[in-house]
Amino acid sequence: MAATTRRDEIPPGTLYMLILRVLGRHGEMHGYEIANSIQQVSEDVLQVEEGSLYPALQRMLLKGWVTANWGVTAGNRRARYYKLTTLGRKQLHSEVEQYQRVSLAIQRVLQATGGDLG
Amino acid sequence: MNWIGEVLRRLHFRLRGSRFDRDLAEEMRLHVDLRTADRVSGGMSVEEADAAARQQFGNTTLVHESSREAWGWTFMDRLRQDLQYATRSLLSQPGFTATAVLSLVLGIGANTAIFSIVNAVMLRSLPVEDPQALVQVKLGAGGDGELNTPLWEQIRDHQTAFSGVLAYSQERFNLADAGEVRPAQGLYVSGDFFRVLGVPAAVGRTFTPADDQWGGGPDGLVAVVSHRFWQSHMKGDPEAIGKRVRLNRQSFAVVGVTPAWFTGLDIERAYDVAIPIGSHAVLHTELQRAEHTFYWWLRILGRIAPGSTVALAEEKMRAIAPQLFRAALPPGRDARERAEQAKTSFVLTPAGLGFSQTRIQYRSALFALMSIAGVVLLIACANIANLLSARGAARQRELSVRLAIGASRIRVVRQLMTESLLIAAIGATGGLAVAVWGSRTLLTLLSSHQTPIDISTALDWRVLAFTTAAAVFTAILFGLVPSVRSTRLGLNTVLKENQRALQGGRRFLSTKLLVGGQIALSMLLLVAAGLFAGTLRNLLTSDPGFDRRNITLMNVDLPQNTTAEQRLETFRQILNTVRSVPGVVSAAHSVLTPISPQGWAEPSKPEGFIAKSPRDTVLFLNSVSAGYFRTMRTPILMGREFDDRETPTSARVMLINESAARAFFGSENPIGKTIAFDRRRAKGERDVYQVIGVVKDTKYNRLNEQQRRIGYFSSEHELAPALSLRYAILSDLTPESLIASLRSTVSTVNRDAALEFRSLDAQVKESLLQPRLVAVLSTVFGGLALLLAMVGLYGSTMYSVTQRRGEIGVRMAMGAQRGSVIWLMMRDVITVLVIGMAAGLAASLALGRLVASMLFGLRFNDPEPLVLAVAILVLCATVAAFLPAAKAARLDPMTALREE
Repeated sequence: MAATTRRDEIPPGTLYMLILRVLGRHGEMHGYEIANSIQQVSEDVLQVEEGSLYPALQRMLLKGWVTANWGVTAGNRRARYYKLTTLGRKQLHSEVEQYQRVSLAIQRVLQATGGDLG
Repeated sequence: MNWIGEVLRRLHFRLRGSRFDRDLAEEMRLHVDLRTADRVSGGMSVEEADAAARQQFGNTTLVHESSREAWGWTFMDRLRQDLQYATRSLLSQPGFTATAVLSLVLGIGANTAIFSIVNAVMLRSLPVEDPQALVQVKLGAGGDGELNTPLWEQIRDHQTAFSGVLAYSQERFNLADAGEVRPAQGLYVSGDFFRVLGVPAAVGRTFTPADDQWGGGPDGLVAVVSHRFWQSHMKGDPEAIGKRVRLNRQSFAVVGVTPAWFTGLDIERAYDVAIPIGSHAVLHTELQRAEHTFYWWLRILGRIAPGSTVALAEEKMRAIAPQLFRAALPPGRDARERAEQAKTSFVLTPAGLGFSQTRIQYRSALFALMSIAGVVLLIACANIANLLSARGAARQRELSVRLAIGASRIRVVRQLMTESLLIAAIGATGGLAVAVWGSRTLLTLLSSHQTPIDISTALDWRVLAFTTAAAVFTAILFGLVPSVRSTRLGLNTVLKENQRALQGGRRFLSTKLLVGGQIALSMLLLVAAGLFAGTLRNLLTSDPGFDRRNITLMNVDLPQNTTAEQRLETFRQILNTVRSVPGVVSAAHSVLTPISPQGWAEPSKPEGFIAKSPRDTVLFLNSVSAGYFRTMRTPILMGREFDDRETPTSARVMLINESAARAFFGSENPIGKTIAFDRRRAKGERDVYQVIGVVKDTKYNRLNEQQRRIGYFSSEHELAPALSLRYAILSDLTPESLIASLRSTVSTVNRDAALEFRSLDAQVKESLLQPRLVAVLSTVFGGLALLLAMVGLYGSTMYSVTQRRGEIGVRMAMGAQRGSVIWLMMRDVITVLVIGMAAGLAASLALGRLVASMLFGLRFNDPEPLVLAVAILVLCATVAAFLPAAKAARLDPMTALREE
């Protein structure tokens, strides 16, 4: 087991942030590209159950963070391309900020008690 | 506002719902295909790659569902589901549903009906500009609300406390010049009245201060009419401006119409015609301008300026009070009066709700009725709770199965509550309809000839909020406990069939509590009904000192352009002609008729009587013609009544009633004693009368008043005869034919006389409106409560018979007689009944004190109503419980046992 790359479930609640981040960096993408991008960037550590991307995208559409437009892929197939809205960009900022705050805090706690873990 | 965008997006989604599924499916297919292609290029076989891609993607159906859910209205969907379920379950038990809904319709209807009246007279503000800023200017704490003309003019010209002041008074005008009166509700208003209130004209103009001048303004006599009057009397003609309307035989030019929403400041008397205060001089020439100092008739209102407060305004008014009083009030006649005046000042009270006779007069009645209706609603709730409990027991298995397969308890409670709320909603809707009808009927009952009540009880947000609150409150009351209880029992207890007996015992206990409570509450209402019905009976049968049967009253009003001598002569002629009408046994006239709101009282100086306080010398008065007591059939106890011997020039004499005789002269013979009055006579003579007779005590204003001391003058000695007199005519004729011949007879004597007819009986009965209303409604509500309680008792006994079928079957199989089976069932009922009645009795005795002031001729703890209530309850409860018990006794033991 240890030999292969360990794949970790995405911590709950961070899926939105990851999608927002990926879209923020690359502009328009369709679902498959988003999934791939998340995996590549995390060097395959983060594992999305790929299907769960789609309900998340629908919720983000509903909240107005992203918009979707139908386009054509390189392989000449119809695909829905997602793009960040201004609202989505704001949301990304606040989520990243919050995430960093929390993870920094967790880090500090871990460092303070770090030695025991060996 | 992000949620608005969200709602819009949701709606947009709804509109193109079917494309969503196709789009999502295509998107997901693309994903899997691309992943497969990726793997194949990585060296996998197509089948392997496809399987791996699918595995990596996850459950497509689930993804689809949860994507869809993101857009759904989950809450609404569940609600719809619950509603469907509730509707189905209610429809499947029409008997239960009908009973529950009907109880609520009546319960909520009764409450809403009374509340809508309370709302109209006590809660709703006047529909004028910023009504909260209106205050009434009164004299002295709790003192008179009506002020005189000079004081009004002083306030109008010198006050700085308000941003505007207005004055008004009410009077009933007569639209007919002669013959039978055609009444119109009139207002005398100050020139600024409409402007200060913020009421614009719908047509034409309202008044200006120029219109309001003593005797008429630059445009002569002018009038503003209400929308209602404009519609009913002027056909809503937009050209009505400039048309003339005749009031008390004077012609007024209509200058404007007010909007439909403005009906005046008196809640129950919508006005028809408003005229400037200055017109009083024209309509009442008998009242000299100087006499206005003694004429207290105007209500004065001020508008608190923005930024100011009531306290500040009151302070300012008080500062100018002494100066205004010096200019406007009659100088005190003695030291005591002057001291009294020095202490008096202005008091401001809120006037934003308008003025309401009902508010003052029926306050206690409305509160009593509101409480009674509330109790009826409680009984109805107890009933439904009981029915629901019984049903919950029947559905126990269904519920426990649902809980067992994983329904959350909250979900199940929610579903049961939806059912209760649905019942409540239907009940409330029906109740609202009942209330609209009920409050109108109630007002018709309250309304009388003399005090017409013209209140709009149109539904407003307060009434709707009240009904909604009542519905939610009742649903929680009757629904929550049963639904929580029926889901609380653990799976094991319920799924095990034979736990029934154990848990049944507990359920029986709470059912008994509910039924006992219902019996206690209906006992309370029955006692109340008994007390109020007894009060009405006592009032109706009490001896008022006169006989009201067969007496027709005729009000005769003469034009004011007549001299005192002419009027005296006309009144005398009319009396003589009336006496000659065939069928008239006897006739007389008087200034006042008994049991009417009018009164006349003066301090007197009886010969040899030493008063402890000025109050002790006050004598209520009337001025009557010869034959008055014969007509009213009031016995003369000593001496004689007025007859032909009284003429304008004869010695001044008077009659007194026995209370006055006893109070003033004790055991001495009152005949021949003298009583002096402070009235000013011509040539400064003392106004002294010699007592020539003593009559039996009669009631003066009300049937339930403390006996008053009354004195009677002869109308022959009246110096300034009024414009109108009241004739009492005793006759065997039917009222219709009598009135017809009276009308034609009087017109032969005087064509200009305005006439009004009614019977003394009707006048007395109208004075009993409040006790009658309370008696009728409390009886109706008491009956309703009894009915509901008996339905509850019947239902619960029936239920316990069903639950104990097995036991009864065993007993009968063992040889129990029918009688003993019936006794078995009745035994429980009797316990509940006795405990319930005891509680009801205790409650009646504890709460009876609250209505003591509304009772007449009996006390709240009199045994009669209590015994009656007990008897009715025992009788009804026996019947309600005996029917199911007898059914139990007819049970076939074999069938019962087989079922078990």
